[in-house]
Amino acid sequence: MTTAKKVLATGITEQEAIARAQQGDAECFEALYGLHKRRVYSLCLRMTGNTAEAEDLTQEAFLQLYRKIATFRGESAFSTWLHRLSVNVVLMHLRKKGLPEVSLEETLEPQQEDGPRKDVGTRDNVLAGSIDRVNLERAVESLPPGYRIIFVLHDVEGYEHNEIAEMMGCSIGNSKSQLHKARMKLRDLLKQSKAEKAAGRH
Amino acid sequence: MTCAEFQKVLPYIIDGGGSEEERQHLENCPVCSDLVADLRYIAECAKLLVPMENPSPRVWNNIERSLEREGLARPARRNS
Repeated sequence: MTTAKKVLATGITEQEAIARAQQGDAECFEALYGLHKRRVYSLCLRMTGNTAEAEDLTQEAFLQLYRKIATFRGESAFSTWLHRLSVNVVLMHLRKKGLPEVSLEETLEPQQEDGPRKDVGTRDNVLAGSIDRVNLERAVESLPPGYRIIFVLHDVEGYEHNEIAEMMGCSIGNSKSQLHKARMKLRDLLKQSKAEKAAGRH
Repeated sequence: MTCAEFQKVLPYIIDGGGSEEERQHLENCPVCSDLVADLRYIAECAKLLVPMENPSPRVWNNIERSLEREGLARPARRNS
């Protein structure tokens, strides 16, 4: 991606806008907001599942960006740096809210003693080809917060388990286990939605 | 290897392969291979969830107000 070469509406490149914003140029900061607001807001919205919270967190992420932009040294892409900052803002907020699901404690407990699922269907019951953006979006929204966060960070945003473990303060094994549970839950939800859709057609 | 044993280790091997024994089980067990196919398909489809929505304009207005209040930025010229 050539983010550094992106030309903003103001006619300057993103790199120039970053340099000027680091000197306190508010207009360049606004230009950076324009460039990154969608990605940051989408991340906040996916992680919280709530529009009002996502707006507040987007606001907080960019305020932090303004305060910290002078410390950006360009070791990583600016978008990566901002994204990580935004994830931390969301996680901090969720911790403050004391959502128990965020602690990942549940993954430390042994799996329910029902063992692996043997009801997983026959060949014609696989999901292949049945997922679209709308039903996936809906299924992700209905995940419990702890599952949703891991799924969004790993499968949507592309963070590695070691990065997630560091951000969440959990082990890599916990992150893997939680992601697995999230995908299993999504599988149930998507199978249900597939069955409902099929029933509706007849 | 049984399905129970395979599915117990699945969270840790699904994205990075597994032992020979685990691969053998996956190849020969339709139940587990359906499960893995579904989970991989879900992970693949997650990429559909690219950012689509912009925040409301009030988000920027609030940011601007906060920056002015904290004395971090000069007032926006267009409003003066």
